[in-house]
Amino acid sequence: MTFSKTTPLRLVLLTVALALATPASAIPAFARKYTTSCLTCHTVYPKLTPFGEAFRRNGYMFPGVDSDVIKAEQIPMGQEANKKTFPETAWPSSIPASVPLSVGANGKAVFTPSKTSSAGVASNGTKFTLQDLTPEAHIWAGASVDDNITLWAELTFSGAADVEHAQILFNNLLGPKHAVNLIVGHGFPNVTQYGPHSSYLGDAMLPTMPVTAIYRPADLGADPWTLVDNYTGMEVNGVIGGRFDYALGLNAGKTPGSGLSVPTDNFYGRIGFKVGGMRLDGEGSSGAADATRPWAEDAFGVYAFGYQSHSRVDPSAVAAGLTTFGDTANVIGLGARGTYGSAELNLGAYSQKHNHASDTEGKVTGTVTFGELSYVVYPWLVPAVRVEHFGLKPDGGDSISNTLIQPGVAFLIRPNVKLVTVFNYERTNGFPTTGGWMGGASDFGQHVSTAPASGATKLSEFETVGFFLAWAN
Amino acid sequence: MSTIATRLSRLLLLVASATVGVAAADGGTITGKVEATPAKYLEETVVYLKGPKGAVKPEVKVMDQRAMAFIPHVLAITLGDTVKFQNHDGVVHNVYSPDNEGVNLGSFKQEEERSYTFGQEGSYSQLCSMHPEMLAYVFVSPTPYKAVVDKKGSFTISNVPPGTWQVAVWNSRLKAADKSVTVVAGQTVTVNLAVKR
Repeated sequence: MTFSKTTPLRLVLLTVALALATPASAIPAFARKYTTSCLTCHTVYPKLTPFGEAFRRNGYMFPGVDSDVIKAEQIPMGQEANKKTFPETAWPSSIPASVPLSVGANGKAVFTPSKTSSAGVASNGTKFTLQDLTPEAHIWAGASVDDNITLWAELTFSGAADVEHAQILFNNLLGPKHAVNLIVGHGFPNVTQYGPHSSYLGDAMLPTMPVTAIYRPADLGADPWTLVDNYTGMEVNGVIGGRFDYALGLNAGKTPGSGLSVPTDNFYGRIGFKVGGMRLDGEGSSGAADATRPWAEDAFGVYAFGYQSHSRVDPSAVAAGLTTFGDTANVIGLGARGTYGSAELNLGAYSQKHNHASDTEGKVTGTVTFGELSYVVYPWLVPAVRVEHFGLKPDGGDSISNTLIQPGVAFLIRPNVKLVTVFNYERTNGFPTTGGWMGGASDFGQHVSTAPASGATKLSEFETVGFFLAWAN
Repeated sequence: MSTIATRLSRLLLLVASATVGVAAADGGTITGKVEATPAKYLEETVVYLKGPKGAVKPEVKVMDQRAMAFIPHVLAITLGDTVKFQNHDGVVHNVYSPDNEGVNLGSFKQEEERSYTFGQEGSYSQLCSMHPEMLAYVFVSPTPYKAVVDKKGSFTISNVPPGTWQVAVWNSRLKAADKSVTVVAGQTVTVNLAVKR
């Protein structure tokens, strides 16, 4: 196996690209549909208010009767009365008179205070890394075809075009309203009770840990399976009684984007409940106690999830002499959110066990814990602090760990333009630094010639200040 | 001579005015406003009385198809009335309704018209099988005392016999409870209504 001189640089770019994963949840196309402000569902987007979370859970539909609150002109593809004439006529639907598209871009600038820090070394001493200020552009599409079906898609341009989401959401299929919904297509598995981007400082609420990328040589470690990513499959989810929710999903796992992975069966499930505050489905809400602070509530939610990922790797394309091998990752986790007025604390932890982390390594157990404390001073100003801890333990190998402490502030320059400033402090013991450390949950390097080992790399440093800029329109 | 003629004409005018006044005074007027939540369904609203039947001569009303739309969007008629459906478009249209007894007037080309006498009280969705986006409503009132609200929700029902009657509302999606109203000859009574889910 050979590695070029540019491998570290490519790894840095990979980690930066991962760190800049799409901040999408709801989109301006929905704002246009209802002729409403982004602030109806968001504080500093993509973080959702309780109402925004309910809108997301309802399959991107308002509580009550969705069509009652649609203000954008719709073109009927049939009439309600056509339901009486079915199957002689098609079941009615409608499409928006205007194409339901939104556009946006996002990226970050990084200030590296020390040339000798691992981030400084990785950036070749560059103090201001600006080339990633707008590395991604997005086209989002979101529309409902009737009161039960939503279409939702996201196309991301970052060098090449990538379909990040393409889903059809069938809502209210059986039983009481919101009890049984079906999502089919490409998108995030709902392993948390809240939106996958439910963080003021990070891209994703759940930190991800690309275990196989760390324990496999670089060429085999590219495109690892992680807990939070876009996968193709289907999910049944729902809210029961307004307070309990669940999700059950099946997807194809890591699709063969790198030419290494073979689609397999992946399964997951989640259950949770919420007490206090707005119901999970937003039905029957009388609004926030303080009408001027619609994001605020006194509530507590908790959820548990499990995930089994099967990966098959065919290394023949990149390494002669290796045969196809499989890896199963079993994940179990817990999460909780407590809100008291405008203060919110998110906590979570999960274990991710791989039985074949690489072509040579056997079992590796990873643990991830995180917490994010935030306070909405104003809907446009949210200071927060986020802590993430990662631990890895191969059977018979050294335990290694990594801790990120990230204080920061999220600003809305305008309701659809945001700036997030994050200070990255990091402590690591044994994680490889070949790929460089740029801050953020996805910034793991890959071992190139030296496997991760306790004591091999001990770092404790203030690494970077990240300035994330994004807009959507 | 001219003075006599002038006086005579004034007398005739006075008698005529008095006659009209008596006729108007035979009945009263109900006026008011409907509020709809959500407001976007307001124009699909008919206010009508459930009580006074009266002897009514059936009428013929017109619903046109023009520029790929039914005109008017809501037509209120009295049970027994006939609606003449017209086609002033350059394309073939159809008129059918799956409601109540079910109606299908078949296909008819430009300048062709077909009539139908609605046999039941209530609303009939008017559809065109060739252009599923087209929609109108024919509301068949049990009494001749009915009105389609205007864009602001206002309505006026004239020549209502004196008495106490139930004022009802039909809306394509929303509902409201009936209201009782007492009509006095020659007077106007105001009734405001609210329709919602």
